[in-house]
Parts: sequence; structure tokens; C-alpha cells
Amino acid sequence: FSSSEYRMNSDGQPAKFQPPPKPVIIDKQKQREERRFLSPEFIPPRGRTDPFKFFIERKDMIQRRKVFNIPEFYVGSVLAVTTADPYANEKVNRFVGICVQRGGKGLGATFVLRNVIEDQGVEICYELYNPRIQAIEVLKLEKRLDDNLMYLRDALPEYSTFDMNMKPVSRLDHEEIPVNKLQVRMKPKPWSKRWERPKYNIKGIKFELPEKKMKEAQKWSQPWLEFDMLREYDTSKIEEKIWKEVSEELKK
Amino acid sequence: MMPIWTKSGKKHAVTLLKVQDCHVLRYISKEESGGKTSKLLVGGKNASPFSKSESAMEIFKEAGVPRKQKVTTFNVTDDAIIKPGTPLYAAHFRPGQFVDVTAKTIGKGFQGVMKRWGFKGQPASHGQTKTHRRPGAISTNKAAKVYRGKKMPGKMGNIYRTSFGLKVWRINTKHDIIYVNGSVPGHTNCLVKVKDSKLPTYKDCNKNPPFPTFFADGDEKLPEDLYDEEIFQFTDPSVTYA
Repeated sequence: FSSSEYRMNSDGQPAKFQPPPKPVIIDKQKQREERRFLSPEFIPPRGRTDPFKFFIERKDMIQRRKVFNIPEFYVGSVLAVTTADPYANEKVNRFVGICVQRGGKGLGATFVLRNVIEDQGVEICYELYNPRIQAIEVLKLEKRLDDNLMYLRDALPEYSTFDMNMKPVSRLDHEEIPVNKLQVRMKPKPWSKRWERPKYNIKGIKFELPEKKMKEAQKWSQPWLEFDMLREYDTSKIEEKIWKEVSEELKK
Repeated sequence: MMPIWTKSGKKHAVTLLKVQDCHVLRYISKEESGGKTSKLLVGGKNASPFSKSESAMEIFKEAGVPRKQKVTTFNVTDDAIIKPGTPLYAAHFRPGQFVDVTAKTIGKGFQGVMKRWGFKGQPASHGQTKTHRRPGAISTNKAAKVYRGKKMPGKMGNIYRTSFGLKVWRINTKHDIIYVNGSVPGHTNCLVKVKDSKLPTYKDCNKNPPFPTFFADGDEKLPEDLYDEEIFQFTDPSVTYA
């Protein structure tokens, strides 16, 4: 007795045996290994300094990371930072905000968090390796379309407000970082910078300007820049070496 | 240059100086040199021996040392004389000491009077004819001459200058690196002369320095990193205000 004899096609004829679909095995550990994240402040800038100086600085950075956990985050993720403050009631100061820009290389690396508190926009620039920072928590890990979200200053305040008591958004370990393709609406002009110009190369704004203004902004485009060979700085090999060094040291 | 944090949470900027193959080359006695103290010739970074004449190489051959790129003199008291040929290390200095650093400043070439001496120049508009960055008057009528040393355009930079009273925060004995507070004259990777400070406020600051110098083959075994008392070391947990 087998039920396959009773399986019928849409025509009414006896159906051919279909084998069950093969199970897809997602090797989570391999995915985790393949996805490497090297914090951008480890990559040395192009210049005439001795690479030995960056090596010495990296030793200090790794030493700090062993004691204090600096999580992986990108521009556009929402972070909560608690710092030691001698002038606060409890000597601790907590600030929640969206990471708007990551700057600096080496020990002086910084990140700027932006939030709107009681209708006042506040941006605080924190140093990643400052010993006064007690904890950095990533409440929402995501990327945005741009590397620099300074245009949020001229965007409607709803895009920069985040609840101070926000709960961390849970996500699985092996998933890829989601890219938030949000197009932000702006306040009426004048803006602090002319964001429509091609030098800022912003993709995350919904420009509601007339076509004529957009065309006029393209006058300042410099199409030869992408072909300029002296500006090329290929960091892939440097990143590989530094990634190996950093991951080995952190595992110890 | 690198940031450094103290235990109270303050940030200071720090310059890294590497002691690269320093050897004592020659001892010149007080009578020979004609000064008030005896002198020691010290050589810096190693360089190729082929681009100098034989007579110039004699000093290095006597000391038994490869040719050095820079040779400087240090005025030294008689009890601090070192045998020529001994290597000098970063551990000669200790954290908490104060130090003067001399180097040749970055050469800017022929510069005008506004950049070289900080003159104000003239306004950009309101009728100025061909005069915006010029010195203006160079002397008075009564003087009837231009004084010697008048500030005028000329070659700027590429001269020896010293920053005084810089604190030594940290010393790396393994790689011979001195972490010195603040900035130092000269471009990146230039040769620099480090001396104990001559300022009267720091006269009594050096408590038990290694005298006459730190000898690597001696009995002392120093840890890899020597820190000043106030520095925040990255092995400690984060700073709190209790």
C-alpha cells in the first residue's frame, strides 16, 4: 500500500514520483568566519610616516580592546554610550544617538552620535579609546546609503530623534548587516551645506528641488576624479595583513 | 603623534621618538676642546660608508662603529664620561623626566614677510595699488639707514630650534621609543637631539636617573614598557570618578 499511486496530476493522469528537495545546510560558523569586520581606524592613512609607528599604536589599541569591548558598528547604527562624568549626579552619563560620522585613525579615532532631545539637536563626538567610556552598546546595527550623515542636521527632526530608553533590536549572528535605503526629507533651503552638489555624493536624500536646480548643481561635478590614478589607495592587502594580526592577538 | 590619557581622564598629545643605533664616538677632554666641560661625540642613525672620504670615516673606525648619519656633541661632566663605542638606549631616560628636543625645522624656502615674520600686510581693496603682502616702511627718516637684523623676506625654516621642558611620559625599552609630551621641531622621521632640560624649574626633577647611562649588558632587567605614575595604562579597567 503506497499513497503515491493516488497522487494525481492536474490532467487527472497518475503523477510521476518527485523526490523531496535536498536540505540546504547553512554552515553558520563558516559564514561568521567569512564575514570579517576590521574597524576602519586600524587602516593606516597614506603618508610618509614609518609603518612601525602604526604597529606600535595598534598594539595599544588591541590592548584596550582586550579589556574593553568595542562592538562592530557602522555609520547609521544607533548606539548608547555611557561615560564617566565627574559633574553628574551619579558619576555616569548615558547618551543614545545615531552614528553620523566616524573619523580619525589609530588611537584618536572618534565617532559622532546625534539625537534630538526636547526639540534641540545634540551631536556628541566620542573618542573610541578614551578610558572614561564605561560601555558602548549597539541598540540597532544597520548601514545607510552614505558614509557621512551630516545632512541629518538639515533634515526634518523626526529622522534624528531616538528614544533614550530604546531597547536593543535583536538580530541573528550570521545575518548580513541590513542596509537601510531610507531617503530622508529635508527642511526648506538654505541648508548648512549644498548637499545636492556631486562632491558630497549623497544618495540618502529625497531631493524635492526643481530639475533646473539639480542640473545647475551638476555644473560642479568633477568627472575626472574617478580616473585620477594618484588618488587611488588600494587597502585590500594592508587590510588582510592587519586583519590577521588583530584577530590573532585578540584570540589570545 | 599620538593621544595619551592620564588617570584623571585628561588627554595629552605625545610625540614618539625612536633611538636608532646611537653610539658614543669620541671623548674630547676639557683642555682639548677649550670649553668649560669635556665633550662626548655621539652618532645617530646608521648610514652607508661609501659616500664619505677616508679621513671622515676615521672617527667611526676608531670607535669600531658603522658610519652614522648625524654626529652631535654633548657637554658632559667628568664623572659622566663613557667609553667610545658604547651603544646608547632609550632607557637612558626615565618617565617623569623633563627633556629639551632640538632639530632642524621644516624648510619653507624663500618666504615673504607675512609668513616669515607675521606682518599684517595691507588691505585687499579700498584703492591699494599692487600692495597687499609687502612690508611697508622699513625704517624712519631720522635713522637714515636700515638697521641690521631688519625683518625682511628670506629663506625660512631648515634651522636648528629647540622645544624646552617636554615631559617624558613613557619609554619602550624593547623598541627604544621615548614618548615625549607635545610637539617637536622637524618633519616626520627627522633626526633629533634629546637632552636633559636646562630650565631652572626642572633642575631637581631627575630622581636617580641611570648614571652615566643605561648599559644593556648590566644587571638591571627592565620591563618592556616604563610608564609615568599618572598615565592610564591600557591594561587597567576604564576610569571612574567614585
